[in-house]
Parts: sequence; structure tokens; C-alpha cells
Amino acid sequence: MSASPSHFQQKMQNPLKSLGLGKKIGDFLNNTKFLNRSLSWYLTGWRAGIFWGLVALFLPQLLSLSSNFLDPTYFAPNVLLLDAILCGIYVMLALGLNIVVGYAGLLDLGYVAFFVIGSYTVAFATSGIIRNIHSQVVTIPAISFWAAIPLAALIAGFMGVLLGAPTLRLRGDYLAIVTLGFGEIVPIVIKDVPFFYGALGFQVPPAPVINTPFGQVDFGNPLDFSAFYYLTLAVIILIVMFNILLRNSSIGRAWIAIREDELAASASGVNLVRIKLMAFGLGAAIGGIGGVFNGVMTSSISYDQFSFQVSISVLIMIVLGGIGSIPGVILGAILLRFIDVYVISTISTMLQTNIALANPANPFHFLVSFNLNTTKFLIFGLILLLMIILRPQGIVPNKRRQLELQGVGLAPEELSVVGEIEREESGASAPPDSVEGLGDI
Amino acid sequence: MAGTSKGEVLLQLKHVTKSFGGLTAVDSIDLEVRKGEIFSIIGPNGAGKTTVFNLITGIYQPTSGEIIFNGSSLKNLSPDRVLRRGIARTFQNIRLFNNMTIMENAMVGQHPFIPSDLFSVTFRLPNYRAAEKKAHNRALQLLSFFGSELVFRKEEYAANLAYAFRRRLEIVRALGSRPKLLLLDEPTAGMNDAETAEAIKYIQRLRQEFDLTILLIEHKLQVTMGISDRIAVLDYGRKIAEGLPAEIQHNDLVIEAYLGRKVEGA
Repeated sequence: MSASPSHFQQKMQNPLKSLGLGKKIGDFLNNTKFLNRSLSWYLTGWRAGIFWGLVALFLPQLLSLSSNFLDPTYFAPNVLLLDAILCGIYVMLALGLNIVVGYAGLLDLGYVAFFVIGSYTVAFATSGIIRNIHSQVVTIPAISFWAAIPLAALIAGFMGVLLGAPTLRLRGDYLAIVTLGFGEIVPIVIKDVPFFYGALGFQVPPAPVINTPFGQVDFGNPLDFSAFYYLTLAVIILIVMFNILLRNSSIGRAWIAIREDELAASASGVNLVRIKLMAFGLGAAIGGIGGVFNGVMTSSISYDQFSFQVSISVLIMIVLGGIGSIPGVILGAILLRFIDVYVISTISTMLQTNIALANPANPFHFLVSFNLNTTKFLIFGLILLLMIILRPQGIVPNKRRQLELQGVGLAPEELSVVGEIEREESGASAPPDSVEGLGDI
Repeated sequence: MAGTSKGEVLLQLKHVTKSFGGLTAVDSIDLEVRKGEIFSIIGPNGAGKTTVFNLITGIYQPTSGEIIFNGSSLKNLSPDRVLRRGIARTFQNIRLFNNMTIMENAMVGQHPFIPSDLFSVTFRLPNYRAAEKKAHNRALQLLSFFGSELVFRKEEYAANLAYAFRRRLEIVRALGSRPKLLLLDEPTAGMNDAETAEAIKYIQRLRQEFDLTILLIEHKLQVTMGISDRIAVLDYGRKIAEGLPAEIQHNDLVIEAYLGRKVEGA
């Protein structure tokens, strides 16, 4: 048996060479074995888990050290921590979408809808202010932030099932179009239905202060986000554990089976309706939790924050990192946020403040008025395109997609099971040697 | 093997018709498969054999007529419900889950026996863990039905298997659901003579060891004639003959369907 870890690479030995970009660059970029071995080792497995876990745990302290070498007027530790929290929210979204797209293979382009639902749920539930059908303000009993998290997950999950139900028979492009529509409808409903305060936006009460035996913890303190950071981190860890438990279970197997071959999965006893709705519902619930954190963190929400671009960003994150791979999806989210928040704006500022470029005689003068922030999806698109050509399985590929070939030995207790069976078989009637009628007609 | 053909009826098709628009793929077919027998459906290409399988397993619903299994109707049941009633199948063009391991393929086949509600799974409740362990052991047993090869390669991806083993793994997956009736859609298609002879042997062993009734679609007449207790012949969606292998071999309609009409006076 020959291994086929890279059909793609065998077929397209060197895509860049065919583009005329030279053999060496192409060979270097195609040398994914180098990337597989080193990167995956640094990013997956228990060693990497412990290391990155510690980094995440001490991130507030590490960031406060950064003021020694970074200009605190631009990179204040607390602002960096805020960026880390917003990044964490995207990590949640990516982990949620990974269930729908990565495991179950259902292309969902309207994931932002559940993000919106989560944000507005926490806004209404914790402020206790809604409007009735005649646009009059009505107060309802407010619930605490802690109760709002499961409530948002429930409501978003329910909406996910509601979206999933009519789209059960759709696959691929058709499903993508319907979910895209759903993602567009939800923000428009928020904008145009008075109940949701429309274009005015909505103030979300800050996260609460709690009293612990060790003193007061203020999750909503805008001068020190570390408490909220740890809350975000804890929720992410719970979501990761949930994902791992689901992945290695009968549900995870059924999801991957329907991704591989829906008909065969159904003929193997997988209830397609149930298992697809489960993927939609759980993915949506995690998106709703992300929405809760987003609502509290940004404190003022309005419909225009929730564009199609959010759905696309999350999708790019999981493709970039490696569809179906938990470390990959997390890395993808962090990487894309980093490019979005730091790289693009830094390059943009550099271009706009460059003295040589300010001279109108400079042939590249037009770059001064070129705002990279408005064209960032062009850059994301290019990144995605390069990724699909050079490394379609993502930065940290899911093992399943690598199709590694290696014989694996049996555990002792398994060997004994097999031994028993073989003994039973040899004791039983031997298979018939001759078959009558063979070769007749 | 004539003795087995007197058993009780396990599967019964009553005037089953399936039309796709103007085309009638299956035209008022009656079949009775008795418990414990190997029953073959043969016929030229496009005769509607696979459509019959798809009708039995709930992938299609009959336009008219009724399918009765083990005394109850299969009307409007989805494929997974049909499986839970005790009918498992394999596919003509092997449909394994290629990016799942051999073990996982065998485990998916036992999906109906493992709890898949969110609560049991997330908290790994005792009933879930017990079912999972039992399914794992049973998967090993089923894999070892075909010798040690599949067992020792159980952590490899199904895509890596050679053709004959892919067919076998598909049977393992089907057996996972503890079926009463196994539908095999051309189990020897694409196999050479040696592999075909081996397939004939294991199909007979399947019936013995798992107490199965087997319904078979097969193109190779050497296979059907060798192992079938009874044979039905389809042509253009209609059943043109049914009987013991020896009867079918000398049936004029069957010879005509396969070889063409005898020219008068030639």
C-alpha cells in the first residue's frame, strides 16, 4: 500500500513554478512536510497544549511587561488585553462554526445571525428594557449576566435549529445560499423592527461585579480587563472541551459520516434530521455565547456591526487554520485577527505617514490615499487563495485530512478479544471448499 | 439447499412500482424472500435491480405497492429507520467513509446501539461508555470475520484499503446494525476470479455465522448460480422469471433477455 498524503501535491507538483515564479520559491512553499512536522509539533499535542495554555493564562502579565519595549500610548497593556478578548470572541465563533462546517460539512454562510442573537439577548435580558409592538418602552425583570449566557446559548441554538429545519434537504451551494440569506435577514430585522431599537443601537450593561472570599472581582472594569479576560478564557476552554468530547463520540462520528457520504450514513442508521439539527443547534449556541461576550465587551451594539463580513471572516479563520482541527481553528482565528487589527493598520499608517510618498512627484504617491482597512477583504481573499493553492488542508491540518498511513498495533485487551474470536472461528465449521455450479451457463 | 426455501416469509414486495416521471423503473414487482435463504436478483443493465434495493431500504418510496418486512410495512420509513427494523445493505459503487478509520467505519455501522443524545455524550454517562466499549469489541469481532488484515489495520483510513477489502469493510459496517436481512449490491463487481471465489465463500459463511437472510444483486452468473437458493430475473423493470437456479438457467425468457431473441428459421 502506498501512502497518499498529498494527492493534491502530486498532481500539482509546483503551482508557483507553473505561474513562472521560480523553482526555489515554489519548492520551499511546497515543502509542506517541513511545515507539517515542525508547526504541528509546536501547535498540537499535550506539550504544545501546556505551553500555550500557560501563555494564555499569564497573558495579562506578559502584556504588562510589553510596556517596557512598546510605546504605551499606542500599545497600552489594557488595550492589548481588550484586543485579546475580542480575539477570544472570534475564537469562540470559529470553534462554533467548526462544528457546522468542519465536522458536519454543512456550509453555513450566515453564522453572523447567531452572533447578533447572542448580543441582543444579553442586551435585553440584562438591561430589562424592551419595546412593545407600538414602540413604547417596557421594562421587564432583568436577569443577571451569568443567567444571560445560557439563555443566549438556548435562544441562538433554537434559532439554529429553526434555520436548520427547512434546509435539511439542501447541500453545498444551495445550503450556502439559504444560510447566507438568513445571515442577511437577521440584521435587517433588527434594523427595521422597532422592537430592536433599529438603527439607534443599544447600550449593553457592563459585566457584573462579584464578591468572592478573596475580594471583589469587577468583570466590567474598563481600566482593567483582566477579570473579563479570564472569564473569556474559561469559556473558551469549556467550549474546546465540549468540542473534543463531541468529536470523539457517536455524535462526532455521525457528523463526519454525513460529511463523507450522506446516503451511506443514513443507510448506516444515522438519523440525518437529528444529527444535522444537532450540528446547527450546537454551532449556533456557541455563536450565541460569542455574541454575549461581544455585547458586553463592546457595550454599544447596533445592527451595522453584524455584516456578512463577520460570517466570511470566521469562515476564512477556519479554512486558514485547518477545517475540523481544533488547534488549527484557534490559530486561524488568532492569526486573522492579528492581521486584521495590527498588520493591516500598521502598514496603512506607514504608507500614510511616509515622507517620500507624500511627494506628489513620487510615482507611488497614490498609495497615500490607499486605505488598507477598507480593502482588507481583498487581502483576506488573497490569503485564502494562496492557502487553497498551497496548503488546502490548513496550517494545522486535521489528521483525518492528511490520510497518514501507518500500521497501529493492538492493545493487549483487544488482542485477547481477537484471539477468542479466531479460536471460535477455527472451532466452527470451516468455510466450504468447493462451490457448486461455479462456471455454469 | 432446497430445504431452506420452505421457511417463513421475511420480506415481501407486493405490486411494487416506482416511476421517475415517465420512466417506470420498477413495474409491479412481487417478491417473497424467505428466512435464511440466499435470494438473488439478476438481470441486464438498467433492469431496475438497484432501484429495488433503494425501495426496500427507504432511499426511494414506491409509487405504488407495498413492502412488508417481518410482518410490518416499511411505508414512509427513512433509511435509518429501515435499518433499525433489521435491513442493512452495501452499495454497488462502494460507499465507505474514506476519511474515517477502518475502526470508525465499523463503529458508525453500530450507530443505532450507541446513545447519541447530548447529555449522555457530553457527560460520558455509564450507559454511553458501556455501549461504546461494547460497540468497539463488536467492531473488532466483525472485522476479524475477514481475517486479521482489517483488525491490524483498524486505525488506518478506509481510503487506503485495497478494493476487495473495501467491499469487505462495507459488509462489516452493514453487519454492525445486527441485521436480519442483508442486501448485497454486486458484492463481486470488479473482482478477479480468485477474489470472486473467496467472496462466494464468505457470503455463505455470513449466512451461517450471523443467521442472516441475504438478498443479492449480481451480474456474474457463476456467483448467483453457485450460491443462490432462489433467483428472480428482472428485465425492463418487470420480473420475467423466478425459481431455482437450475430452472432459471433453462428459462427461455431469461436467455432471451441476456442473449437476445432467437431468429426464426436460423
